[in-house]
Amino acid sequence: MDLIESYKEELRLVRRFWTGFWIISLLIALIFLPWYGKEHWVYILTLIFIFSIGVQGQNLLIGYTGQISFGQAGFLALGAFTFGHLARFGAPVLVSLLCAGLVAAVFGLLVGFPSLRLKGPYLAIATLGFGIAVYQVFVNSELLSGGRMGLTVQKLPALFGLSQVNTYYYFNLLLAALFTLASYNLISSFVGRAFIAIRDNDISAEAMGVNLTTYKLLAFAVSSFYTGIQGGLYALLLGYLEPNMFTFLETISLFVAVIVGGLASVEGSILGAAFVILVPHVFSDAKQLVPVVYGIAIILILIFEPLGLSGRWLKIRLYFRMWPFR
Amino acid sequence: MKIKAGWIMTLSVFLFLGLVFSAQAAPVAGVTDTEVVIGMSTPLSGPAALWGVTAQGAKAWADYVNDKGGVNGRKIKIILKDDGYNPARAMANLTEMKGQVFAVCALLGTAIANATKDFFADNKIPLITVYADVRIWEKYPKDKMKYIFVSYPDYENEAEYLATYAVQNLGAKKVALFYQNDDYGKMAMEGAKLGLSKLPGKPELAGAVPYEVTERALATHAQKLKETGADTLLLYPTMTHGALILKEMAKIEYRPKALTTFTLGDPIMYGLAGADVWEGVYPAAPAQSGVPGEPAADKVIEILKKYDPALAGKEYLALFGAVSMMHLVEGLKNAGKDLTPDSLVKGMEMIKNWKPEGIGSPVTYSPDRHHGVNGSRMMKAEKGMHVPVSDYTIYKPLF
Repeated sequence: MDLIESYKEELRLVRRFWTGFWIISLLIALIFLPWYGKEHWVYILTLIFIFSIGVQGQNLLIGYTGQISFGQAGFLALGAFTFGHLARFGAPVLVSLLCAGLVAAVFGLLVGFPSLRLKGPYLAIATLGFGIAVYQVFVNSELLSGGRMGLTVQKLPALFGLSQVNTYYYFNLLLAALFTLASYNLISSFVGRAFIAIRDNDISAEAMGVNLTTYKLLAFAVSSFYTGIQGGLYALLLGYLEPNMFTFLETISLFVAVIVGGLASVEGSILGAAFVILVPHVFSDAKQLVPVVYGIAIILILIFEPLGLSGRWLKIRLYFRMWPFR
Repeated sequence: MKIKAGWIMTLSVFLFLGLVFSAQAAPVAGVTDTEVVIGMSTPLSGPAALWGVTAQGAKAWADYVNDKGGVNGRKIKIILKDDGYNPARAMANLTEMKGQVFAVCALLGTAIANATKDFFADNKIPLITVYADVRIWEKYPKDKMKYIFVSYPDYENEAEYLATYAVQNLGAKKVALFYQNDDYGKMAMEGAKLGLSKLPGKPELAGAVPYEVTERALATHAQKLKETGADTLLLYPTMTHGALILKEMAKIEYRPKALTTFTLGDPIMYGLAGADVWEGVYPAAPAQSGVPGEPAADKVIEILKKYDPALAGKEYLALFGAVSMMHLVEGLKNAGKDLTPDSLVKGMEMIKNWKPEGIGSPVTYSPDRHHGVNGSRMMKAEKGMHVPVSDYTIYKPLF
């Protein structure tokens, strides 16, 4: 969209004054939200922050590297239960969180191996099998799932004179911002470009010197790390875990968020996360109509905006930039 | 210069927004002289949507109470939200209700109850009845339990009762279990084993066959159950799986006596399983609610259907929910005109040996007892109805 004249300019995250202005405005709005917004919006945004981390991870895999995966619920569960068990042993929150991401990443690496041989629907089925297998293992193992009463996880205490809801809000806002920054940096690095090259044409990518084994596995590991972190944060927020919270429905939610938000777009991942959290909540008064509204919204977006919400955002931005000319 | 102007502009916008959004808090949230607002979060969509009928039944009863003049001059206003059986969404709904509602009624789901349990004491919002594994509350700190009132049977106690009833009253020689492969099903297994171990001769379970919630093809499960040689079967599945397994068993001519958990107590099972399969099954019933066909229950059901005709055909669950609303209404009555969360708690704790509209077994709450009633009775599926065949067996309240 922009005319880029140098490599340095290409690497800059913010290239225009007004982009910077709006990003800073948005951050200020988010930082001060607990002062002027209602508490439930603070909670909803906390959920969006948590979800956006996982969606970004999946977008790195599906959108940027072009590897279809349906194993998200499995990585979520691994992250959440790793976090839950470590927290019960008294491990600090950040250590537990890091381990949640790492355990999911190790399993991501394992699941990545079929991707070296499988493509498209075959890879989708292999990853789907992983998601179901993880669920089954947790359901059948009381040691892992916490037994009949599930796993109770110590919640974050209220810190710095803030309420507990606000503490969670700022904690997750900070993490979401860090992961967003990491995603932008990753995709503009050599690694990110290797991911995109694999998506566009893996044989050409290999001919250009991209090691397919390394980068496909890396894509799986990084995306699973993000999803594992999402699982850990989810466990910390709810303070309770049971395997039934990680069924195939969670996979679908993450997948929908990636597609609706826009493939290969970090902003799209955040918009997609907002979509899957906000639509059911905003229409929760519509009673049984929630799935209908949800489904129709997805169909409409995919028909009229194949680039997802991020595509619509780009068009709106372009419209205002070009205004009054079209 | 441009950047400085941008900062000033941004800060001014947020200062303005801050002034606009600052709101005055009401003395008691959700209470005026003419109205009391009650929040409900329930699955109206998703895998447990059918159970959301309980909230609709509760709302219909509130509408009836309002037409009779309300409670202490106040009309009950219901805010009903769908949580899709998802704990995060339920918590979002409750957080949104905070400041708007006076109390919450009929929360549904064990994961949801576990994830949201601290919300009630933290915000001093009473929770009147919750449909979830009651063992959650057994070890819950007493000070936090102050705002939570439960009348729901314990799954393990119920399974113990079913196993004992099968042997003592139905002459069962070999008992097998068909159960959902999760904590709920495993609780049933423990209860059934406990019940059998207390009987003379200490019979053992002849077999236990689990299934997964996602499974629909249950022919092999039916075969395995037949191979146990059991003459009596205890069922702890969902309604759908209960219907499916009995149909599969009928196909291979295996028709043992079947006793089921109370979640299959809705006569709608005749429609799901087919009359020939369901006839003669023994479903348990919870002590706090009634069943269609009983005079006291039918009287309430007629009222519910008048206020919400969509409840026709879903009478059992609608009644289940309406009874929860009756508990709340009784607490509100006892609390008097000066309504605060603490006065409602006191009002609830004044309920002694009370049968809501003559339905179920008597309920008692007190400062030391927030488990209103924990009990079961046996019914039998006969000619399209579930007919009670035993008195209530009341277990010790757990908290």
